Amino acid sequence: MTAALLGFLAIFVLALFRIPLAFAMGVVGIAGMGLTRGWMPALASAAQVVHETGFAYTLSVIPLFILMGNFVARAGLAHELFHAAYTFIGHVRGGLAHATVIACAGFGAICGSSIATAATMSKVAYPSMKKLGYSDSLSTGVMAAGGTLGIMIPPSTIMVIYGIVTETHIGKLFAAGVIPGLLTAALLMLCIVLMTRHDPEHAPAGERSTWPQRWAALRGIWGVLLLVIVVLGGIYGGIFTATEGAGIGASGAFLFALARGRLTFRVVREVLIESARTTAMLFTLLIAATIFSNFVNFTSLPGDLKSWITGQGFPPIMVIGAMMLIYIVLGTVMEELTMVLLTIPLFFPIVMALGFDPVWFGVLIVMIVQIGLISPPVGMNLFVINALLPGVGLGQIFRGCWPFVAMMIVALVILLMFPQLSLWLPSLMK
Amino acid sequence: MKKNIEAACGVVAAIALFAIMALTFFDVGGRKLLSNSIPGSLEMTELLMVMVIFAALPLVSLKGEHVVFDSLDGFLSPGFRRAQRAIVQALCATAMLGLAWLMWRTGNDFAGSGETTAQLHIPKYPFVYGMSLLCALTGVIHALLVVYPQRDLEEHEGAAL
Repeated sequence: MTAALLGFLAIFVLALFRIPLAFAMGVVGIAGMGLTRGWMPALASAAQVVHETGFAYTLSVIPLFILMGNFVARAGLAHELFHAAYTFIGHVRGGLAHATVIACAGFGAICGSSIATAATMSKVAYPSMKKLGYSDSLSTGVMAAGGTLGIMIPPSTIMVIYGIVTETHIGKLFAAGVIPGLLTAALLMLCIVLMTRHDPEHAPAGERSTWPQRWAALRGIWGVLLLVIVVLGGIYGGIFTATEGAGIGASGAFLFALARGRLTFRVVREVLIESARTTAMLFTLLIAATIFSNFVNFTSLPGDLKSWITGQGFPPIMVIGAMMLIYIVLGTVMEELTMVLLTIPLFFPIVMALGFDPVWFGVLIVMIVQIGLISPPVGMNLFVINALLPGVGLGQIFRGCWPFVAMMIVALVILLMFPQLSLWLPSLMK
Repeated sequence: MKKNIEAACGVVAAIALFAIMALTFFDVGGRKLLSNSIPGSLEMTELLMVMVIFAALPLVSLKGEHVVFDSLDGFLSPGFRRAQRAIVQALCATAMLGLAWLMWRTGNDFAGSGETTAQLHIPKYPFVYGMSLLCALTGVIHALLVVYPQRDLEEHEGAAL
């Protein structure tokens, strides 16, 4: 047990010294294994992890979904989504903010990345909100929070990674995210209603659109609908595996962007290389985390922790609640993917021993990551929006996100109390 | 030099990724619509995945896109940060060169046992040697970054999460 604790401590110290987390985890994993089990087995097992993770057909789901999201982002669909949402809801107070949340939810259904969703939406929605006189803190808060819908509403990179490391069915995780995603979107809109009632001059209403305008706007988003129906419907209906669905989705997004004349040879090359880089970065983390968790699993720490917690007779839901609290605190300062990869080897066996559904816990993890992505001081969605909108200070963005962080914690509590919200749709799958 | 590495690795990774996409599309389409899949498409995807990941690895290092905990940066003096970056790059270089050595040995094992893919009988060892060489290239890039440090990069998150 001491060996594993020292391992976590070593990673923490190396990370503080600015060693990339993947390198820290990999080196500590190999060193830990080497010191406890011998160097030859440690090196052999590390080499095995590297080539097995490299030569893995099912893991091609990761680059394919990333590619799909990047093609979709270049296809210019976000504009149509935002416009369509605006024609329906633009005339209410805070209408542009509501439209942003709806457009984020729609974009989230074809893109598995929170950061890409927030980045795409900030280009589309911010200029309109600025023009109507929305305060910067409200508009950036909405875009940051709405962007996180990208990972709850399937497809979702973090769900895929959770599914891979815990061996949970990715299709079921995707199905499980639908209702929580819509619930979160509804709560974000409720938050906007409350904020604009309190402070109406910061979010004036827009013009009401006519029904013919609305129908015309809806016709602009048929491509999004088609992609969602084919990819998610196919995975949900058991026609494709998640990997196959990702391939169809990436190809569909490519053909769609091509048909809209958005793709030059150069853009295609950029999208492919960008997606490959993100893939390489993720796989480095995935490989390193696997090496480290192999070491942790060889020690007695996960077992000791599990038997201590189950032996205390705490109510199981309290244990999950305590984990969520730890995650919320860690999420304010840590990069979320690393946080999940580091803690899963310890937490997941406890969750299983307490008899909870791994799919439900996966949804909670995604919600935690969503909250972490918009919690200052270290929230990547906030940084991305800051980088894209140099005119808005980070302080204003931090101020704007708090109401949404609070609302997402409410969403987390609801998901914690009503597991059927997450588990009903997957239970219908064959 | 830097341009050439970027271009070469980029082309390999891009073509491999596009090939995975097209392969999955035609394989699944063929299987569902014409009940006729592409033989060996799964293992071709596996080999292509290795190319995507390891050819893009030098690019990730070149752009400094690995996840780091940088919240302390604001509290450190510029001199300390310069020294820190040089040490970190040196450690990363050592780790990547070590991994390259390990994968080269694994490649020797694969070559010795003559391991091939199941259906198409493509030998795997050249791909493992390829992994090793690209890890070594990544290590060299980190070593060069000790001497020629990157300019401060803008907030570059990739779109992983």
